[in-house]
Amino acid sequence: MSGVMRIGHASLRVMDMAAAVQHYEKVLGLRKTMEDKHGNVYLKCWDEWDKYSLILTPSDRAGLNHVAYKVEKDADLDDLQKKVEAWGVKTTMLPEGALPSTGRMLQFNLPSGHEMRLYAMKEYVGTDVGSVNPDPWPDGIRGAGAHWLDHLLLMCEMDPAKGINTVADNTRFMTEALDFFLTEQVMVGPEGNIQAATWMARTTTPHDIAFVGGPRSGLHHIAFYLDSWHDVLKAADIMAKNKVRIDVAPTRHGITRGETIYFFDPSGNRNETFAGLGYLAQRDRPVTTWSEDRLGSGIFYHTGDLVPSFTEVYT
Amino acid sequence: MFFDTRPKVSVQVLQTGETYLCATSESLLQGMLRLGRRGIPAGCVNGGCGVCKVQILEGEVRSLGPVSRAHVSAEEEAGGCTLACRVAPVTPVQLAVAGKFEKPFQKGFAKAADRVSTQ
Repeated sequence: MSGVMRIGHASLRVMDMAAAVQHYEKVLGLRKTMEDKHGNVYLKCWDEWDKYSLILTPSDRAGLNHVAYKVEKDADLDDLQKKVEAWGVKTTMLPEGALPSTGRMLQFNLPSGHEMRLYAMKEYVGTDVGSVNPDPWPDGIRGAGAHWLDHLLLMCEMDPAKGINTVADNTRFMTEALDFFLTEQVMVGPEGNIQAATWMARTTTPHDIAFVGGPRSGLHHIAFYLDSWHDVLKAADIMAKNKVRIDVAPTRHGITRGETIYFFDPSGNRNETFAGLGYLAQRDRPVTTWSEDRLGSGIFYHTGDLVPSFTEVYT
Repeated sequence: MFFDTRPKVSVQVLQTGETYLCATSESLLQGMLRLGRRGIPAGCVNGGCGVCKVQILEGEVRSLGPVSRAHVSAEEEAGGCTLACRVAPVTPVQLAVAGKFEKPFQKGFAKAADRVSTQ
């Protein structure tokens, strides 16, 4: 199947570069692979084979610059440009080298205003265990030893009274223009007909991207994959060791069934480390729906309580 | 209460009238959270999300790190506005909470949806 394969990278704004690099290297276990002349730092996880999955940009504020997804073939970019334009979203084709070690990128904004980019080529550097008779994990893993950048959750402007619901708009766009499929959704309102949050996939995991309605658009979190529940516990130990601000201590989501921790980078961008692929996401799998009265359990399965900072704080 | 010998000063939150003792080596927000007290909304505790925005009404504070310009402009900062997670008290402080939680989930939806359904 041609088209979008998976999340490729996220570009985040940080207010203290040294602290940010220290956090993503020492706590999450990424490794700096490159720095450009503008002071942007590029990092990757040990199990990723392309040159970077995270760009840190010096700024006076926190938040997301853009998120990028990798497509299988270069020609997919032309094909998807037509589909995105036909859907009514303007695009720009950025030339090769607009980002270092990266081919041309199709750039556009989601209906929620977030910038998304698609690309087909990024410099191959290989995983830390290689691809010939590899060990299951490399020596010298630092911190949580995250395997890969897995997904992100975007907060999307929503005001049903004014007829604004960019969660629903994004979901339609991702389905119709980029051929993502819906795995789970939160339906609210007296009729249960307002789509207030969605989880969508292109891979076989429960989500490659998620959208949640809020008063303004922003970044809720970027998530890194761990192998097991025990790795989640160890990751929390590492956060405590490094005095990382933990937002939600290890628990399980009802939605996606993920085993999770939420915490903040030194600029206040929320991170997640999670384990458990939940279930095999398939196009013909019935969509899971969460109702407004059970939303707490969907988010934090054990307590069923919504944590105010988790649902109301983002960059 | 565990014994804590660090030098401390009092911090008063105008809206709630609540007063707590904050060490001069920790942020106004950390001091409050450490005691399990409420009054100033807590979010990322790293200067990025802006929910702990406060106006310093009396007293002196020192900066512990950058505050997001998306939430506190340079002009506001010059006028005594800051994020409680990014300043430590130097003298006793009185402050007013300036930020507030926005409501993405929860009541916001239901209320908005109710308005729609009754229109």
